[in-house]
Amino acid sequence: MDNILSVLIFFPAVAGLLGFVVDKSSARVYGISVATVELLLAIWLWMSFDGTNAGMQFVELIPLVPDFGINYYVGVDGISLFIVIMAALMTLLGMIGMSIEKDIKNMIISLLFLEMTMIGVFVALDAIVFYVFWELSLVPMLYIIGAWGGPRRIYASIKFFLYTFTGSLIMLVGMLFMAYLYYSVSGVWSFSITDWYALVLPVNYQVWLFMAFFAGFAIKVPMFPFHTWLPYAHGQAPTIGSVILAAVLLKMGTYGFVRFSLPLFPDASVMMIPLITVLAVIMIIYTAMVAYAQEDMKQVIAYSSVSHMGVIVLGTFAMNAEGISGSIFLMLSHGIVSGALFMLVGVIYDRRHTKMMSEFGGLAAVMPKYAVIFGIMLMASVGLPLTIGFVGEFLVLLGFYKVSPIATILAGTTIIIGAIYMLTLFKRTFFGPITNEANRNLPDLDTKEMSALVPLVLIVVWLGVYPKPVLEPIDTSVKALLSFMEEKAQTPEAKETIILTKQTKEAE
Amino acid sequence: MEKFVYIALFAPLVSSLFAALFGMSPKKTFVGVIASLLLATSFVASAILAAYVVQTGHGIHVTMMDWISAGDLAIPFGFVVDHVSVTMMVVVTLVSTVVHIYSIGYMDHDKSFNRFFSYLSAFVFSMLVLVMSDNFAGLFIGWEGVGVCSWLLIGFWYHKADQSPEVNPSISPSWAANEAFIVNRIADLAMLVGIFVLYWNTGSLQYDVVFAALPYLDESILTLAAIALFIGAMGKSAQFPLHTWLTDAMEGPTPVSALIHAATMVTAGVFLVIRANPLYSMPEVSEVSFFIAALGTFVAFFAASMALVERDLKRIIAYSTLSQLGYMFAAAGLGAYWIALFHLAAHAFFKALLFLGAGNVMHAMHDELDIFKMGGLKKVMRGTYLYMGIASIALAGIPPLAGFFSKDAIIETAFNEGTLFLWAMLVVTAGMTAFYSFRQVFLTFDGDERYKEFDIHPHEMYKFVLVAMSPLALLAIIAGFFQGAFQKFVTSSPLMPDYVMSEHTHHLAIYLGILVLIFAVGGIVLAWKKYGNGLKRDEKCENSFIFQLLKNQYYIPKFYAEFISKPYYLLSQIMWKSVDMKIVDATVDSIAYLFFKGGDQTRKMQTGNLSNYLNWMAVGLVLMLLVAAVTALIA
Repeated sequence: MDNILSVLIFFPAVAGLLGFVVDKSSARVYGISVATVELLLAIWLWMSFDGTNAGMQFVELIPLVPDFGINYYVGVDGISLFIVIMAALMTLLGMIGMSIEKDIKNMIISLLFLEMTMIGVFVALDAIVFYVFWELSLVPMLYIIGAWGGPRRIYASIKFFLYTFTGSLIMLVGMLFMAYLYYSVSGVWSFSITDWYALVLPVNYQVWLFMAFFAGFAIKVPMFPFHTWLPYAHGQAPTIGSVILAAVLLKMGTYGFVRFSLPLFPDASVMMIPLITVLAVIMIIYTAMVAYAQEDMKQVIAYSSVSHMGVIVLGTFAMNAEGISGSIFLMLSHGIVSGALFMLVGVIYDRRHTKMMSEFGGLAAVMPKYAVIFGIMLMASVGLPLTIGFVGEFLVLLGFYKVSPIATILAGTTIIIGAIYMLTLFKRTFFGPITNEANRNLPDLDTKEMSALVPLVLIVVWLGVYPKPVLEPIDTSVKALLSFMEEKAQTPEAKETIILTKQTKEAE
Repeated sequence: MEKFVYIALFAPLVSSLFAALFGMSPKKTFVGVIASLLLATSFVASAILAAYVVQTGHGIHVTMMDWISAGDLAIPFGFVVDHVSVTMMVVVTLVSTVVHIYSIGYMDHDKSFNRFFSYLSAFVFSMLVLVMSDNFAGLFIGWEGVGVCSWLLIGFWYHKADQSPEVNPSISPSWAANEAFIVNRIADLAMLVGIFVLYWNTGSLQYDVVFAALPYLDESILTLAAIALFIGAMGKSAQFPLHTWLTDAMEGPTPVSALIHAATMVTAGVFLVIRANPLYSMPEVSEVSFFIAALGTFVAFFAASMALVERDLKRIIAYSTLSQLGYMFAAAGLGAYWIALFHLAAHAFFKALLFLGAGNVMHAMHDELDIFKMGGLKKVMRGTYLYMGIASIALAGIPPLAGFFSKDAIIETAFNEGTLFLWAMLVVTAGMTAFYSFRQVFLTFDGDERYKEFDIHPHEMYKFVLVAMSPLALLAIIAGFFQGAFQKFVTSSPLMPDYVMSEHTHHLAIYLGILVLIFAVGGIVLAWKKYGNGLKRDEKCENSFIFQLLKNQYYIPKFYAEFISKPYYLLSQIMWKSVDMKIVDATVDSIAYLFFKGGDQTRKMQTGNLSNYLNWMAVGLVLMLLVAAVTALIA
């Protein structure tokens, strides 16, 4: 099927529209069925994907506004393939585990609409299409937080919307300027990213454009010091909102770096390594400390999420295949693990309507299955080998060591301080005697929760033990990206950096 | 032969998963039995492999499958069974099997019996991955795996509440578990750095490739790699200043202390140095190696000093473990790798025996660990008394038991290398070791029956448990006789340099041995004099500064709590409440507020009055003309 990407994008949206006529009582089943079909389609995409081909596959191109070079242009490569699958997976599992009863139909429709925008962003190869999906993704999330959130949901959702929207507008200006530059060089307008790749830009233009795109991506990631919308959004969002936000929406930012910043502005990217490194290292250490100070379980996970995103950003700018492949793998593992952790916090919130750690203690004796799954996800979060969390983290740190040993050691403290806040959370919540009578008779995980969480546990172990099926296609595309950057870089410093960072002594 | 490699490796994993199936159900004895059988299978397979390596003289190398490949990095799941790893495999699986059987009795009344076996077998699997791996990344899998299992097992009785450090120096099992994990993680970061250095300079993480490339590397790189890997080893083997977690780890069930925190896991650091001996033997890193020996010697002495005054039975043995690890590092740092490995194996046998004996005492005394509350137990616990006596004689280094041969060889090495200061410290430590070991034995088993005051009715352990412990006792007695054979076997490996004493040392060996023996016997005699006839407390001594210093572990845990943990927590609080909320977030909100306020103020222009609007229009027009004029001028 040649149009599989279009099907993947629009099937959930069409199904969402049809969802308006579905009976309220069957809305949930309807949503789960649609999301299952979508996931199967995504897996089928993977099966028919050629892992040895580094280029774009399943490309579709339909002119929209030919005069301005705006096309409906989509395609998928090793870098985006697995994020698409993860988006479909997390939507499905999030729906299965969802405990919301209120306005369930609206929720299902919002989620399906959100799924369209997420997949659209990751397969778009036209900047305008990318931008449209990028911005549209805000709408359902705004609604999810605003309608189903906690007491300060309006503040949180508006902050989320306006903050990220501001960044995206600057990015849009960058895109328009990019298209204009293309026009001034070639005489025709184009918003196609692959056309833009061919454009060799003067270094000072690259720097400005890099900054414009950076504004959009950095706020989305969110990088320090643009991260403060995230704790509010997570704090107020319902469980499903946090799951999708942490698992998929944040990845748009880091994906943007890989898809736009690196290949479009190779010289500027190399020049910006020091700045990015400083921000990422601050992000890793500082937010991990803030996470440790939290009283609320969900806030711990929210800040830890920022901390781990710092590792991802760092890997993206390692300029070698180890680091960048690791970074993309870490996007996936972070999606799986943080999504699962948010679900787990949701489980206890549903039972006790509080997320404060001081309310708990000794839960391991009352809810053993819950404790086991939480423990596994905790270990994946702190990057234990043979769990999914290790592979990406290891590769990123390994890759970045070539760029800067000092920064790597500082960033590597994530394995220590990450363990500190996670183990403290686990101890306060699960260990010790049961001090609060309200916890004494809590029911353990039910079938619904188990069916959402067990697949994630299996993935965590599977890809921790055997990451090859995923890592190989990623690596193929990343290697192609790097040789492209090497070719395109103009300044000798940038070229040298890109060549040197990927060499082991042996290769010389 | 390959199939035996997989049997040895995966039988414990099968055991763990099998026990996990029953993890949440009530106690089922067959879980323990099957787990023990699977561990015994693993031991038999290891023994067959050992016989194979002895006969053929070469190892077995298998590659199971790929693990991580990215860029130029390719890490397989590969396992190597050679002279070094097969020694470790036999030791690990043998002690594990005994501990598994022992646990069937020891954990008899525990409601989490099945869960215990699942963790314990998972530990053995991780340990085997650690020792069998053919590359540094695989070693790291096992390294972290044993860390997690140790975390699970120290915190096994997670339901216990935190206590103040004055009541219980380890605070609680869950606290001790977290401490162990976090301290190890600090070391693991250094270890990762060592791995990165090796990768970027040799292009691989496979032992053979890395070792082959070592001669071509710069001195700075070799030094960095050696230091980084050794810091990693310091964490697992609890060397100063990362040692506090080991004594706190005694919160775990005693079989765990025997297996993990005495016989196997804590020796992983020593194993790493032995495994990476081509690196540590490079002349460029001789200073690092000497530092390892010096630190090892220091820890041997330092830990022994704290054991002199400790009252907690398990903590005494934990200190002695620390001290013996110091001996192993001393040997490894001085280049006597086979001697380090020999002491590692001998120590595993008698220390596991000692801990299991302590477990019997605990069982009998209803979890009481204060040796001041014991005494005279030999009347009711003959078998245990015998075992702990044997283990203590071995630990003290009295011939012909195992500890004499292995420890004496280390002390002799220090003499042979001309590092007389280290030698003297090690000799003195040998005396201290004998003293605290027998202080503990006499206070526990001899003298007046102080436990009667506390209404405790001790009883001997189950028969089958005592029988299960017998292999360890036998080995603690006879292992020393195999010193020569062991040396010949291990050093026949191309990766294991031989170490022989110089002629000069050889001539003096008998006198050196006698000197050490005098210290050891002196220690025992002193212990007998002070404690052989019951407990006599000396107020003046107990209030002295030195005594208090030792009792408080040189105030190191307190120092860590006050100067690291608390400031870190406070700083985190500041980062959150002051920096994140009041600076970063407040800036964002104030920008938004500025726009809001600006809009709110200018709203007043919208009066609905037409003449007002005309006025504004005029103002706007003038402004625009002005702008146009200015730009025209500039252009």
